[in-house]
Amino acid sequence: MKPLVYIAMFVFLLPLQAGLLALLSIGGIVPDLGLALLFIIGLLTGPAEATMAGIGIGLLQDIGSASFLGFTGLTRGVVGLGVGLIGRHVLDRSSPFIILFLALFSIIEGACISLFFQITYGDVPFFTLLFTRYLPRTLYTCALCLVLLRFTDRSDFLRLIKRPVIGKEL
Amino acid sequence: MNRFIIKHKKAIAILILFAVLFWLLTVQVKNGRFSFLEKPVLAVSGFVERIVMWPFSTTAAVLRGYVVLVYTESENRRLHGEIDRLKMDNAVTNELLLENNRLRQMLEFKALRYPEAIAVKVIGKELSPASSTVTINKGSDQGIQKDMAVITAAGVVGKVQSVTGGTAKVILLTDPGNTLAVRVQRNREEGLLEGKLVNCALKYVSYYADIQKGDLLVTSGLDGIYPSGLAVGTVVTVSKREAVAFQSITAEPAVGFSRLEEALVLRK
Repeated sequence: MKPLVYIAMFVFLLPLQAGLLALLSIGGIVPDLGLALLFIIGLLTGPAEATMAGIGIGLLQDIGSASFLGFTGLTRGVVGLGVGLIGRHVLDRSSPFIILFLALFSIIEGACISLFFQITYGDVPFFTLLFTRYLPRTLYTCALCLVLLRFTDRSDFLRLIKRPVIGKEL
Repeated sequence: MNRFIIKHKKAIAILILFAVLFWLLTVQVKNGRFSFLEKPVLAVSGFVERIVMWPFSTTAAVLRGYVVLVYTESENRRLHGEIDRLKMDNAVTNELLLENNRLRQMLEFKALRYPEAIAVKVIGKELSPASSTVTINKGSDQGIQKDMAVITAAGVVGKVQSVTGGTAKVILLTDPGNTLAVRVQRNREEGLLEGKLVNCALKYVSYYADIQKGDLLVTSGLDGIYPSGLAVGTVVTVSKREAVAFQSITAEPAVGFSRLEEALVLRK
């Protein structure tokens, strides 16, 4: 069942991100569905699985956009690893404070991307990029993730990918 | 040794994957972006996107087209298209006049011709945090090809980066991988405009060139993609540093990408 959930997620990620979420755009800012899903996967599974999911999501976003192939895969993989490690210590997924970790990861990822472009192309307005593009996007992604977390908690939809040992841990 | 590998196989696999991704990245920074997987992925996602968006677009079309405004919607769309074309004509008039004067002086008058444009609709936006792209609703079936220029009445949007049968991906001016040849309309100084995600940088403009804040940048046509004279953006900041041959100039695109809904693709 788990591979089917991942396949469905990968098939629908780009269309939902490009089509449906574009309708929710506020001033050109669109929430990052890939990052929100990765955060939930990280909380529900473990670091290894979340890293692989992050690499997969990132590669898909790289292919679907104009960025270097593997760039978002790399950053999302690191985010997946971080969230997976934090997810091991989280028992209450419904707590809104967990979202602060997502905000932190999103901002760090944005800073890394800005730095990469600064190094590669030069003259990139680092702070403008961070404050006008990545910070609003982070806030919007956090809001989307909160909604998705509530949804997964109520419907148990993503329990299909939850790591089996979590029951014992609880 | 074997036991160590078996025990840490997941960690080793992840480390190898990260190393491969890092290697891929360095290769692309040197040699340009890989695009071999784009077509199949875009074809699948474009197909699914149409299915996913069908209920929303149908509901919206029914509400707008039949219930609320029966004929106004189609009439409005036609008039909008006409206004856009007229605005584009108006925007290039100034450029045409300047060029006309120069050509008259040289007694080599020739008419400027813009190729027939294909009207497209933006159906998807921004798929990655590291790039600026949009997806449009027409592709190779409608005659769209890679590297065709995409414009609106306000100015240049970008160029077509990849095409499938029914959709195409457009790389916007602000994408770091996008560059185009421009000139300052006021004094004909030339430079290269590069995307910087939130705005653009005008590069290779001599230290001694007279560039001022508010100067309008237009396409020079030297890149072979965009026809000359299309509005690109305006100069926002200019700074000069001693011992640096070129000025550091930032520019704001003429097109508001956050509100981009329709555009024209210029046939080659």
